Amino acid sequence: MRSVRRILFRKVVNALITFFIVIALNFVLFHVMPGNPVRMMIPQKPNIDPAYIDMMMEKFGLDEPLHIQFLKYVKNTLILEFGDSFRTQTPVKDLVLDDLTWTLILMGTSTTFMILIGMTMGILAAWKRGSWFDTGSLGFTLFFYAMPTFWFAIMLILIFALQLHWFPTSGELPIGMKLTPLTLDKLWALLDHLFLPAVSLTVGSIAAFSVVMRSSLIDVMTEDYITTARAKGLSELRMLKEHAVPNAMLPMVTLIAMDLAFIVGGAFQTEFVFDYEGIGYATVIATQQSDYPYLQAAFLIIAVVVIFANLVADIALVYLDPRVEIS
Amino acid sequence: MTGYASRLVELLPVSGPTKEKLRLGGKKTAETLRIFRRNRLGMAGLTILVTFLVLAVFAGQVMILFSWISTGLGHPWPSAYGPFDDTNAGVDQPPSPEHWLGTDADEQDILSRVIYGSRVSMEIGLVAAAASMGLGTLVGLFAGFWGGWRDDILMRITDVFLVLPWLALMIVLATVLPGGQSVLKVVFVIAITGWSYTARIVRAQVLSVKERAFIERARAIGSGEMHIVRRHIFPNVFPLVFANAILTVALSILSESTLSYINLGPQPTEVVTWGNILYLASEENAMGNGLYLWIIVPGLCIVFVVLAFTFIGYALDEIFNPKLRRR
Repeated sequence: MRSVRRILFRKVVNALITFFIVIALNFVLFHVMPGNPVRMMIPQKPNIDPAYIDMMMEKFGLDEPLHIQFLKYVKNTLILEFGDSFRTQTPVKDLVLDDLTWTLILMGTSTTFMILIGMTMGILAAWKRGSWFDTGSLGFTLFFYAMPTFWFAIMLILIFALQLHWFPTSGELPIGMKLTPLTLDKLWALLDHLFLPAVSLTVGSIAAFSVVMRSSLIDVMTEDYITTARAKGLSELRMLKEHAVPNAMLPMVTLIAMDLAFIVGGAFQTEFVFDYEGIGYATVIATQQSDYPYLQAAFLIIAVVVIFANLVADIALVYLDPRVEIS
Repeated sequence: MTGYASRLVELLPVSGPTKEKLRLGGKKTAETLRIFRRNRLGMAGLTILVTFLVLAVFAGQVMILFSWISTGLGHPWPSAYGPFDDTNAGVDQPPSPEHWLGTDADEQDILSRVIYGSRVSMEIGLVAAAASMGLGTLVGLFAGFWGGWRDDILMRITDVFLVLPWLALMIVLATVLPGGQSVLKVVFVIAITGWSYTARIVRAQVLSVKERAFIERARAIGSGEMHIVRRHIFPNVFPLVFANAILTVALSILSESTLSYINLGPQPTEVVTWGNILYLASEENAMGNGLYLWIIVPGLCIVFVVLAFTFIGYALDEIFNPKLRRR
């Protein structure tokens, strides 16, 4: 048990180090780069109050040497002080956290379906290796994997919203509607709006899971204990369920965490095409309007979420796979 | 095939041992090709890829050919349009015999832009992939070979890039880095965000190769570090890198199209890529105005080229990765 605790400790320390490298990277990108983007964080409008400018300069330490700026930056980051958005003139922190909710709703739904569908297809393909299902599912999933997510999203809107009118074309809720307090009608509207974005994000990433599940299971099926299980006379279903799949699952856990970085990318594109106002949508809008405070905060928050998810997966793996303890 | 190659080798003005090495190398290549030809997905990918390469290299000639076909059908074009030609055919025209895919907001022929667009789209994909593979291989080689604290530092940095959501990082880099919108910047941004996975797998492979007897032997006879890395470790890592590189090209092409779609790629007035054709389409609301081909055709081009690289990548993976080879 001591060694498990030591492994966990190391994982947490590693995650913290990663987190601080990200903060440093963010600092370099927004403070040290030529043109000093952070200086542009102060609105350039002529009619702005000089006292406000002084306050901002003080808050971000723009008159100080670089190392003081860095310390101030770290402090501001830890208390989630990112300044005001240019677009809305409100604190970026509130905007980002609000947008994050929507992104998590979209990503949570999609990732769940991605994993369920991807694993099922992978298991079937490995079990019926070389069959038409194996080739067909590989071709099918790779086809959608090869598609730019934003383009697939456009195609979905074209067919299911503009031509067939089955779903709304954009947004996360009807215009003007707030999520809370949640009623049954609102939930229905939410699902109605969520369906196409979720499909666009899910379908494109199934291959990432099905292909790995397939090769992992094929790998496991060559192990001696599978031969033993078969020799004992276990049915194929029980052999798969009790011996093969649980062992083939282990690489999947790592994979889910690693793929998160990619799924975020897909979510960004989906949100942008559907005008679904999550972090991705707002980030793209922020690049177009040079809203640096938002960009900086969104990048950091989304990185923190992914780092945290990776840590959780790492820890889960320690408990799921006894072999990790030994190494 | 093999016989022809070995006779060719005989004619080369090189020394005996080199000749023998070349002969063996040729034999191995022929064997690889033989396995590759049996792989249906791989061959399909290669066919698609060659088609698009021909399209890219002979873009001007292809347009001339199309203009002949159109003349033959009774609709002569004023000229074989170039991608930036003002055709004076009107703005945002629907498809017609003179402009098969219609025209865009600058009265440019979309068909011509799609065909010429294959050049930069694939160029960026190839160059960015090569750059990120190069960087990843270097980091992986040295991290694995050195071990110790240097390995630790390199791997922490690798982890950061592995965990960070790639699209978010690309968007931030493309926005914050100086230099406006250019091909070089896109290549740089894709390369800098895409090297980490390569570094990981190269390092893992190096760690296993490093322990083998022939490395010890090389050390025993006094080979220098650089020599061992270059002549003994790298050749053993290369096949793995190669199969992975092909998949990276696919990802790089997708990245370019995504960046260009949100107008962070090269300027559409100076460089034409499939991604920025789609950007212009969304700017002109092609979807709402029923100009569907403007969206569908460039998107399908991306899908097919990415699919081609993906298929080839998977085929090579099956060849180089003995675990996946059918028993």
